[in-house]
Amino acid sequence: MEALSNKNKGKVLLRAEGLERKFGGLTAVADFSFELREGEILGLIGPNGAGKSTTFNLISGFMPPTSGSLSFLDQNITSKNATHISRMGLIRTFQHESLLSEMSVADNIIIATTHRLKSQAARLEKMQETAKLTGLEDHLEVMAGSLPHGLQRMLSIAIALAAEPKVLCLDEPLTGLQGAEVGAALDLFEMIRSELGITILLVEHNMRAVMRICDRILVLNHGRLLAAGTPEEVSQNQLVIEAYLGHKK
Amino acid sequence: MLKDNLGLTLCILIALASIGFALFSGDPYYVQVVIWVFTNAVLAVTLRFVLLIGELNIATAAFFGIGAYTTAVASTIMDWTFFASLLAAPVIAGIISALFGWITLRTKGPYFLLISFAFTEIVRLFYTKTEALGGNSGMIGMFPPMALNDYFPAIAVTILAAILFGLYAAERSNLGRVFKAIQNNEDIPRSVGLNVIGLKILCFVIASATVGLAGGVHAYTNSVIAPADFTYFVAVLALAYVKIGGEGHIAGPIIGATILTLAGQFLHSFGPYENIFYGAIIIGALLLVPGGIVGLGARFKTGKFMGRAER
Ligand SMILES: Nc1ncnc2c1ncn2[C@@H]1O[C@H](COP(=O)(O)OP(=O)(O)O)[C@@H](O)[C@H]1O
Ligand SMILES: [Mg+2]
Repeated sequence: MEALSNKNKGKVLLRAEGLERKFGGLTAVADFSFELREGEILGLIGPNGAGKSTTFNLISGFMPPTSGSLSFLDQNITSKNATHISRMGLIRTFQHESLLSEMSVADNIIIATTHRLKSQAARLEKMQETAKLTGLEDHLEVMAGSLPHGLQRMLSIAIALAAEPKVLCLDEPLTGLQGAEVGAALDLFEMIRSELGITILLVEHNMRAVMRICDRILVLNHGRLLAAGTPEEVSQNQLVIEAYLGHKK
Repeated sequence: MLKDNLGLTLCILIALASIGFALFSGDPYYVQVVIWVFTNAVLAVTLRFVLLIGELNIATAAFFGIGAYTTAVASTIMDWTFFASLLAAPVIAGIISALFGWITLRTKGPYFLLISFAFTEIVRLFYTKTEALGGNSGMIGMFPPMALNDYFPAIAVTILAAILFGLYAAERSNLGRVFKAIQNNEDIPRSVGLNVIGLKILCFVIASATVGLAGGVHAYTNSVIAPADFTYFVAVLALAYVKIGGEGHIAGPIIGATILTLAGQFLHSFGPYENIFYGAIIIGALLLVPGGIVGLGARFKTGKFMGRAER
């Protein structure tokens, strides 16, 4: 299905065609095609179990698709592994266990710089810069696993940012954040896009946040693309309303 | 965790004192014991090195043996010089471990443990079945050259101490941090462009090559080697050293190896019951002092005696 909106004319960075992933008899993602364009924030929503995290695993090379194809920066990455794809600049976060719980905040971020930056000084500088951006600069020596929940979510974003992504894929980064924290995180995403020039693919359950920040939204249901379009278009789509009424948490 | 400077100073002091002792003590028995302590420390430290990526590597014992047999073959059959025959040990152990690691390190936890165990026993059986390697009775006649004879203990201890220091430096470098990250949650380093399998193999090869070198030193120290010296039990003992000393810091296995090797000199009189003692030590250490001696020191410092010990 093609995107309904023509507003975004950015060049296509990531393209999925007929993506499918089966687990035994269960089809987690089926015939899913989409494009991610340079400079946009693309939302990927859908009820629990819709196949959002599986889609992340497929595009980031953590799992091979059972069929379909993927291209990133005009290269076919369908059968490439996670190391290869992350080195090309597609960096994803994890919905669960998204950090190194037994290492310090500083070490968590430094690990993410090690592939790109070879000098220790450059790594430290990048680490400090990223920590400042994500509000972690006063917690550098804290063990990541003992950070408050909100800061843990920030750290998983910091890890991804320190790897200098072209495309940043965030898997439910707002889960468990308190009121003010949500606003701050959304401001951070806006800043990442506009000032760092990073394209964002956002999986999120918080509908208000998604509607506010995304340029376009894809809706998955039972692994299939149900609708796609601007936030207004999607929120008025009858199929989407039904899918969500059926599964509303 | 112990202050790193303290651990480093401790390592260097022990090394220097022992090198001096090995050099100047006239009693060959004491010289032997010092070399044993260092050899066991290397076994324990290399076992712990692979624990950094979260794998319990029984094949430490196998690569110790591969190093010893390589040096023995190079020295007695191929007539290589002393240093060339020693150098062959880490090279061959490194090459074999790279192949072994490339095939097996895609597995983890109990699978890797079992494979490394099986590998150790298969390699040992290979020695017993190979006439050229002396079969069950092994190989004899590895002697350092006459001119170096008086200095051999000092050379051996220097090599072993250098291995310990080298592994300490590797752990303190960014590489050590990456290894710990792999142990903690390997998806994270993978998601930021690190080649996790390659790094695991690298960790394994570093440990195997260095323990192989220690095996080469062992061949010259003992002058006699046999398949029975390289059973999986060598790795079990190394694990005992790690557990009693504590795995939170590299000083742990060194302290553990020192204490248990010295204690072992008195326990030989117990004959076969000696092994029961080591088994009891591992279980006792796991239950009573989960952080080992190093962990106790750290808990003493922070005044915290209860709660989870650091891994
Ligand atoms: N590794 C896996 N093995 C088997 N089934 C899986 C696996 N990962 C996900 N699934 C299944 O695939 C479906 C989609 O899961 P997921 O992509 O995590 O959904 P979402 O992120 O949208 O909540 C679910 O039914 C889930 O149980
Ligand atoms: Mg999910």
